[in-house]
Amino acid sequence: MEALTTIRPELLTLTDGQLQALMPYFLVFGGISLAIIASVLRSLKPKWPVFILGMLTTIAGICSASGLLGSQAGSELIFNGMMVSDAYSNFFNIVFLASAAFTLLSSFRYLDHEQLQHPEYYVLVLFSALGMMLMASALDLIVLFIALELMSLSVYVLVGFRRADRRCNEAAMKYFILGSAASAILLYGSALLYGMTGSTNIRDILAFVQAHPQGLPVVYVLGAWLVLVGFLFKVATVPFHMWMPDVYEGAPTPVTGFMTTGLKAAAFAAFVRVLISAGYGKGLVTAVQSHFHDILWVSAVLTMLVGNIVALTQVNLKRMLAYSSIAHSGYILVGMIAGPGSEQGYAPVVMYLVAYAVMNLGAFVVLTILAGRDDSGLNLQDLAGLSRRHPWLSFAMGVFMFSMAGIPPTAGFAAKYLLFYSAVQANEIPLVIIAVLCSAISVYYYLRVLVYIYMRDPAGSPAASRVSVWSLVAVSAMVVLTLQIGILPAKMVSAAKKAVTSL
Amino acid sequence: MIQQVEPWVVLSFCAAIFFIGFAGVLIRRNILVVLMCIELMLNAVNLTFVTFSKELQHLGGQMSVLFIITVAAAESAVGLALVIAMFRTLRGVDTDQIRLLRE
Repeated sequence: MEALTTIRPELLTLTDGQLQALMPYFLVFGGISLAIIASVLRSLKPKWPVFILGMLTTIAGICSASGLLGSQAGSELIFNGMMVSDAYSNFFNIVFLASAAFTLLSSFRYLDHEQLQHPEYYVLVLFSALGMMLMASALDLIVLFIALELMSLSVYVLVGFRRADRRCNEAAMKYFILGSAASAILLYGSALLYGMTGSTNIRDILAFVQAHPQGLPVVYVLGAWLVLVGFLFKVATVPFHMWMPDVYEGAPTPVTGFMTTGLKAAAFAAFVRVLISAGYGKGLVTAVQSHFHDILWVSAVLTMLVGNIVALTQVNLKRMLAYSSIAHSGYILVGMIAGPGSEQGYAPVVMYLVAYAVMNLGAFVVLTILAGRDDSGLNLQDLAGLSRRHPWLSFAMGVFMFSMAGIPPTAGFAAKYLLFYSAVQANEIPLVIIAVLCSAISVYYYLRVLVYIYMRDPAGSPAASRVSVWSLVAVSAMVVLTLQIGILPAKMVSAAKKAVTSL
Repeated sequence: MIQQVEPWVVLSFCAAIFFIGFAGVLIRRNILVVLMCIELMLNAVNLTFVTFSKELQHLGGQMSVLFIITVAAAESAVGLALVIAMFRTLRGVDTDQIRLLRE
């Protein structure tokens, strides 16, 4: 119990470099605090101040994180090695904050229409973005757990934000129960890892694994296995996907968009870090390595097959995109399996997460604009003849659907190409064949949306649309980004490669 | 002389509690009982951390417990709030009644 008798002053101070590295977190947290204060000033009619504060916070956070991304040479350990600020975490910080910013933009008018305009909404989105940022930079399993819960607890409330609606409540309850159980499993796994290695720090755990090349204790493997299951649940891979379609359908549309992009990217960002630290592809005993490889392999194949095949029969667009989101988790798992064996490492995974976030957020912003009262009117028939009412929105939806199906010249194609190429390099040929076939299946249900938009006559009277300047800005930005990453992918690829060098 | 309890006894006890909680989450119908089962899982983890902390002579585990207790409290607050919101629209707290979204 050495820590009890000595207090080391260097652990209690922050150097200039560390302070600078913490800047994005401080800015976001400060912005959230101001937003909370503004939201209780009821006399102010708080929706404008809180919305603007939220936007400013995310923009300040993005600026500071991209400044760090440009200036930082190596990685900076903070708080006695519990957190790290490196290219990987700053890259993901930008993704999370941008996803939060576009969610806020698209929600503003939506909340007015649904009479849900409570300032807490913006605060919760920001808190969950802060949780994601901490998740991507956590180097300690307990910090990771707290960040995960900060993110999840905010999102549980956001999912149930439409309090008077029964579907919304059911979705929130289901998500809460399954999500907390998964967090508890992840935590139990961490406890077992701690017991075997004597530390919750993931770098120390990696050192322990590398110091035992001849064999690992059974309890260690069990702990790593439980952590793996917890993460597989969080990223919604088959067989842990059952909650996702229901939650996506029940949640308010902008929240669903936020969940598919930010939440998924955060879970994968932490998953990659922890998986590497558990020794995957980095000095794990061969038997255990192949065991984990097999688990991921089976999970990836099932996820791609189930996600794509069930999506074929869906008529509700939110539910269809939920199954498509499950399928995309499968593709990302392919990248994770290929990671140790290919020369790009985990760069394709990072690239795919960004591309997926851009196109999916765009699709959900369009759906937010089109949704009727209580998120009705999001079935395929309701989109019939949309091209005559909203030519620009139809074009945008077309770009996003082409991108998700992986058709050039869009972001989805570039990301998928890189991902499958790295899997071929890692000699995972059967996996690539299955992935390409699944991706061919997916073309059917993505293009069916476009058939309804462009080739069917409108049925019935169109619902009142709620196009606002804010959401049009968001849609246009996403279209430009999707096409830009698709046509000129080199810049994004090099950014992704730079991000994974610090892992 | 005080007889020491072997660590493996405590650890298997924790594992048993954890899996009782997990089974409860999967099986029980009443949402309040499900919430209790989640607490049971988290407390089993706490006990595991304390046992390992004692065995390893390392304070990190006991610190973790403090954080987990805090998070568990926040989690039950959110959980109970959701139960109340659900009770207002559903007039019940059974998971059997959650079926609107299941098509």
